[in-house]
Amino acid sequence: MIEVKNLTKSLPNGRKLLDGISFKVKKGEFVGILGPSGAGKTLTLRCLNGLLKPDSGSVIIKSENSQPLDICKIDKRELRRVRQKIGVIFQGYHLVKRLSALENVMIGRLGQISTWRSMFYGFTDAEAEEALKALDQVKMSQMAGMQTGSLSGGEMQRVSIARAIFQSPTLLLADEPISNLDPSNAKTIMKMIKPLSELMPVVGVFHQPEMTAKYCTRVIAIKEGKLIYDGDPKLSNKRLEEIYGEELELIEQQEHMIPVTAK
Amino acid sequence: MPPKKFSFKRYRKFILPLIILLAVTEATAIVCGATFGKLSDGIFNGLAFLGNMYPPDWSAFPEMLEPALQSIIIAFLGTVFGTIISVVFALLAANNLANPWVRNITRVFIAIERSIPEIIILILLVAAFGLGAMPGVVALSIGCIGMLGKLLADIIEEIDPLMIEAIESVGGNKIQVIIFGVLPQIMPNLISYALFRFEINIRLSVLLGAVGAGGVGYELEYSFGMLQYHRAFTAVIIIIAMVFGTERLSYFLRKKVKTEGALT
Amino acid sequence: MTAIDFTLPSKKFKDKTTVFAVGTVVVALCCIYTNFNPLAFFMEFHNVRDLLGEMLPPNYRTLTDDPSTGYAILQTLCMAFLGSLYGGIIAVIIAFLAASNTMPLKSVRMIARFTLSFLRVIPIVVVILIFVIAVGPSTFAGMLALVIVTIGNFGKLFTEIIENVESPPAEAIYSVGASRMQVIRYSIIPQILPTLIANMLFAFDVNIRSAIALGIFGGGGIGFKLQLAKSVLHYKDVAAIVSLIIIMVILTEKISDYLRRKILGEGKLK
Ligand SMILES: Nc1ncnc2c1ncn2[C@@H]1O[C@H](COP(=O)(O)OP(=O)(O)OP(=O)(O)O)[C@@H](O)[C@H]1O
Ligand SMILES: [Mg+2]
Repeated sequence: MIEVKNLTKSLPNGRKLLDGISFKVKKGEFVGILGPSGAGKTLTLRCLNGLLKPDSGSVIIKSENSQPLDICKIDKRELRRVRQKIGVIFQGYHLVKRLSALENVMIGRLGQISTWRSMFYGFTDAEAEEALKALDQVKMSQMAGMQTGSLSGGEMQRVSIARAIFQSPTLLLADEPISNLDPSNAKTIMKMIKPLSELMPVVGVFHQPEMTAKYCTRVIAIKEGKLIYDGDPKLSNKRLEEIYGEELELIEQQEHMIPVTAK
Repeated sequence: MPPKKFSFKRYRKFILPLIILLAVTEATAIVCGATFGKLSDGIFNGLAFLGNMYPPDWSAFPEMLEPALQSIIIAFLGTVFGTIISVVFALLAANNLANPWVRNITRVFIAIERSIPEIIILILLVAAFGLGAMPGVVALSIGCIGMLGKLLADIIEEIDPLMIEAIESVGGNKIQVIIFGVLPQIMPNLISYALFRFEINIRLSVLLGAVGAGGVGYELEYSFGMLQYHRAFTAVIIIIAMVFGTERLSYFLRKKVKTEGALT
Repeated sequence: MTAIDFTLPSKKFKDKTTVFAVGTVVVALCCIYTNFNPLAFFMEFHNVRDLLGEMLPPNYRTLTDDPSTGYAILQTLCMAFLGSLYGGIIAVIIAFLAASNTMPLKSVRMIARFTLSFLRVIPIVVVILIFVIAVGPSTFAGMLALVIVTIGNFGKLFTEIIENVESPPAEAIYSVGASRMQVIRYSIIPQILPTLIANMLFAFDVNIRSAIALGIFGGGGIGFKLQLAKSVLHYKDVAAIVSLIIIMVILTEKISDYLRRKILGEGKLK
């Protein structure tokens, strides 16, 4: 379980990027975060992983057989231990372009093997098989040997998803995991993430309200660094207008497109 | 593409190149007499010797200022004349200005010049003209041709052919094409390359001095030869100050040209 | 009409002629000061002609009569190779200590940076003169000088290469709980390795030329042979050695060019 309390973060010039964000995600939940561009969704996710230190507030992680930990307060060594079990799918994929897709997936386990072993690429063949399976889940096993620098945007995105799955995390954070995918692949990914929420809390940022309505168990909306909605994934048009401003018509058009994307 | 097998097996293809590299290193080390023990000893001896050279002999400082100025002026003149000659060569080596025969011959000449180390040109010129500033300046000027000539010729070849045609179409002759079309276009690059070359020439002029062209390089070599190490240390300090100063100056000027000038 | 910002041709002409005139005067003053007459080179061109007359035809017999010439070439090559290899490796190590994304301690970074910028400004003559006295005139002294010079020439460049590596992949690796060493191994090294190797090959090219100059100051190798032949005025031998040097430089340049293209070009679309 992960609990976020009162996160705030401001720029040195005083502009508030995050302003008192609190929510809670339990095992079995698939929470979608919605919000306009620049609202602070990515910043929130980065706080959940400790990549960004908030000015105030806490991120508390509780797992079944250990004490609750506040990510913002623990030391480096402890943080590394916690991170081993947090899978992150980054908005910009963050792949090492000169390594192959399979090697990039293997990187997901780096925290879990010893530093010395990893210096000599000490992954076992069994781990390679497993990584290949993870790639297979995102339909990328055909390209396992290719350098990621030469992959297309959607292919890179799927490699980064495979990396997070291969990590076998106990908490999954996904930043726009389907932003670059065609409708069929997007559906595959959503269908893959959804059952994961049985095993671990899943938090995902999306720009597709119709997708969150269909797959998520709960939706959170962030706007200008503030939490403005937390509840049922099916949003009314009025709510959507509240979240995205005056661009309701565009949303309605998108809703027309639902049959194409969601079928 | 099938994935490669993992664990240590993936290093198999690196074994052969690694063995070759180690063997070559070992062989070359034997030729140079550079065993590992000797290597660290050598470095430490060098450092210890530096310690012996301290303190510098400041009384020699005033008499070294003039040679230092001479070295700087030789480098400066070498850069100026070298740049001018290089521009001529570059114009002759550009395929959009010169006819193919001239171009190829010039290119070959530039390539050959590039592969002759400056020191050889200098030794030969000293042999021909005796000691003095002249062989130094001429050697540095010739040294510029290989580097600047090639770089500038490549830039000239990239000039938009339409622009050259435009000037030709209003009746301009070759000289006018060069003055109004080519030179303004390559000017920012020309200046920054020339400044870069000036840095190299400062170092070279010290080197040239040491084989007899005069200047602070000669003072250095002479002091070492006379075993006056404290005096040599003064020369080292002056040389380092010269190199550092020109590097800063050229950096400053290049940045200025870059912000002012058009293109790259 | 609003004022348009442009320089009148008459003013531009005046500016340009001023710059040109001042430049010419400065150059002329410099020429007078150093007693250098540009025309003298052409007036006394007979000196060059005389020298060429003495040099030609090159006496290639010297190469076969004196087997140590071949060995001297080998020495020069070995000197340049070891100088580039050891110098390059040390430069990489210092660069890792100097780059902000690999070395967290600011004090270490400052020391490494200072070392690099200090080595950068020491000309090669100074280095070789010091080593010739410290370890005696030999190929070994030349090699040590090349090591120092290579560190100075390439250390800063390597630091920049390391610092310019994309940072998002490193962030992703940190996010799975990896250590700094693992980030270096899996994100930074794969990204910089080809560039580093290409630059070391380039260093080899540069060092071959420097190695010849070093020979003249007691660094051994073919440069020393050249100096010897010159000092006893055997200009036909000098010509033979010079032509040999040119061939050696061109050949090594071609080889390193080929290797460089192979290393940098792998896996790219043609
Ligand atoms: N490193 C940074 N320095 C300064 N401002 C930043 C930084 N990172 C993000 N911001 C600002 O914080 C705000 C929120 O950014 P964030 O990346 O969280 O947006 P987002 O909600 O993820 O948007 P999108 O949907 O476009 O990804 C933006 O206005 C951005 O300009
Ligand atoms: Mg974002």
